[in-house]
Amino acid sequence: MTSASPEASGSVTPAVEIAGLTKRFGGLTAVSDIDIEVAERRIHGILGPNGAGKTTVLNMISGFIAPDDGSISVFGHEVTRIPPHRIARHGVARTYQNIRLFAGMTVLETVVAGAYLRRSSTIGGTLLLSPGERRERRRVREQAHSILEQVGVRSAHDELAETLSYGDQRRVEIARALATDPKVLLLDEPTAGMNDAESHEIGQLLLELRESGLTLILIEHNMRLVEGFCESVSVMNSGVMLAQGTPGWCLEQDDVREAYFGKRSDAARIATLRRARRGSGGS
Amino acid sequence: MSTTAWITTLQFAGVNALFALSVYASLWTGVLSLAPIFFGAVGAFTFGYLSAALGLPPFLGLVLGVVIGAGLGVLTAGIVIRLSSHYLAMATIAMVLIGRVLIINLPDYTGGAAGTLVPGELGTWLWLIGCLAIAGFVLSRLAGSRFGFAADAVREDPAVAQTLGISTRHIQLVGFILSGAFAGAAGVMQASFLQYIGPDTFYTHLGFVTLAAVVLGGAFHWAGPIVGALVFTILPELLRDVMGDYDRVVTGVLLVAIIIYMPRGLVDLRRFRLFRHRSRGEAPPGASASRDSANQEVVS
Repeated sequence: MTSASPEASGSVTPAVEIAGLTKRFGGLTAVSDIDIEVAERRIHGILGPNGAGKTTVLNMISGFIAPDDGSISVFGHEVTRIPPHRIARHGVARTYQNIRLFAGMTVLETVVAGAYLRRSSTIGGTLLLSPGERRERRRVREQAHSILEQVGVRSAHDELAETLSYGDQRRVEIARALATDPKVLLLDEPTAGMNDAESHEIGQLLLELRESGLTLILIEHNMRLVEGFCESVSVMNSGVMLAQGTPGWCLEQDDVREAYFGKRSDAARIATLRRARRGSGGS
Repeated sequence: MSTTAWITTLQFAGVNALFALSVYASLWTGVLSLAPIFFGAVGAFTFGYLSAALGLPPFLGLVLGVVIGAGLGVLTAGIVIRLSSHYLAMATIAMVLIGRVLIINLPDYTGGAAGTLVPGELGTWLWLIGCLAIAGFVLSRLAGSRFGFAADAVREDPAVAQTLGISTRHIQLVGFILSGAFAGAAGVMQASFLQYIGPDTFYTHLGFVTLAAVVLGGAFHWAGPIVGALVFTILPELLRDVMGDYDRVVTGVLLVAIIIYMPRGLVDLRRFRLFRHRSRGEAPPGASASRDSANQEVVS
């Protein structure tokens, strides 16, 4: 009776379930009626050319921006319109496309700052020098060291995080997200700026994390990584879902190829559009 | 300077340090607030009124100042925390202005424009150093705690902090409570040293000096505001002996120079860490803000 398994109802609750998600910025529909379902312990990729709305989807899952329509649930909990810090408490953590480390903090401190949800000490306990609080400090530091080892940060842990190499900064961000003890990890271009060998290491890390029970959703442009490590992908273009399924199948679809490589008639159409806009908007 | 002048100056420096720590407490959570000046005024005038009307023992007055300050911190946070950064700062500056209007228009309680006399039993070194030591202890203990890291995160990037499960409102509320408690104590201490308080005791000048102390000393470590308050209170007095009325020019230039070359203030761990990083033999990618002149040079 101890395990309150979601399977009791017959169907498995997906880790993340997105239905009819829509976001408009003024006249632009950045994300239009997107459905994504990611099962637990799955590595799911979101692909698409620049401006496809991938990061917007991630921002809506983590609560940065509120969707205009649709719903998002995490392990059956509706998180659509709740503030980001409460979404984090449902086990959602993320990294950023443009690295967002805390200025002035060392590598270790950055990860310790991420461990807020793993700590339970109070201000009263801190000021009264409670032994529990001291133990907690030590425990959190040890955990931070081991998370940093796990994600493969090579620099010294007392270095200023912002002085690290690009790849290591991305790893510190992953470590900070892992410090929240998440169930779902959202990664926005985790291998941007990394070479093939480093990317492959990140891929291995993704597998390791999935083995430890995490569900991973990543935005990725590196097709080798996607084909090698993602079990399923969603391909988006201009806010619309083009294809979902295994990476191999998706990348063979005609409209996916078109989204990535374009077609000849586009060039003519863009030229026409440009002329039309100049005619109506010009003074 | 004569010995008496030194003692007075150091006392002012101590009280300013307490006010600066109060500004620091909310700045730590990413909120620039001058509300401590208002909290200090309320603490001081309540202390003055109650000691005169009820013969309240001074120590209880200090405790009451802390409690009232913290309570006002909660109220203020409830009203202004939803505002975004500079609007919030302006709202707290408005509080300082409103405070003066209240003091002038409540003569039955505050003495109005003429001000009021306050007993000076707490105006001793023991109380001042005691208050500073407790404030320093509280902040240094919190620095490595769950709250402290959360406050750092909220200051550096509130959006990222939220995705780590940190409620920015909650952290900023705690910042306001700490700020209010320190400011309440600072107000009572200021009143005890001066033994006379009026509408201009807790006004924009004190606000400016306090803010300058935090900027100068550094808003990224609790020792910064203390160093800043000491330097910024003592230095003008020393300069006045030498240069007469030009002391303000020098302190002004010093402040600007520090803002340009040490934007994070005199006490800055980040600068130290960059320095260490470079001495390990690697060039940091963004080494712009790093003049590594020792803090002590300026202090002494």
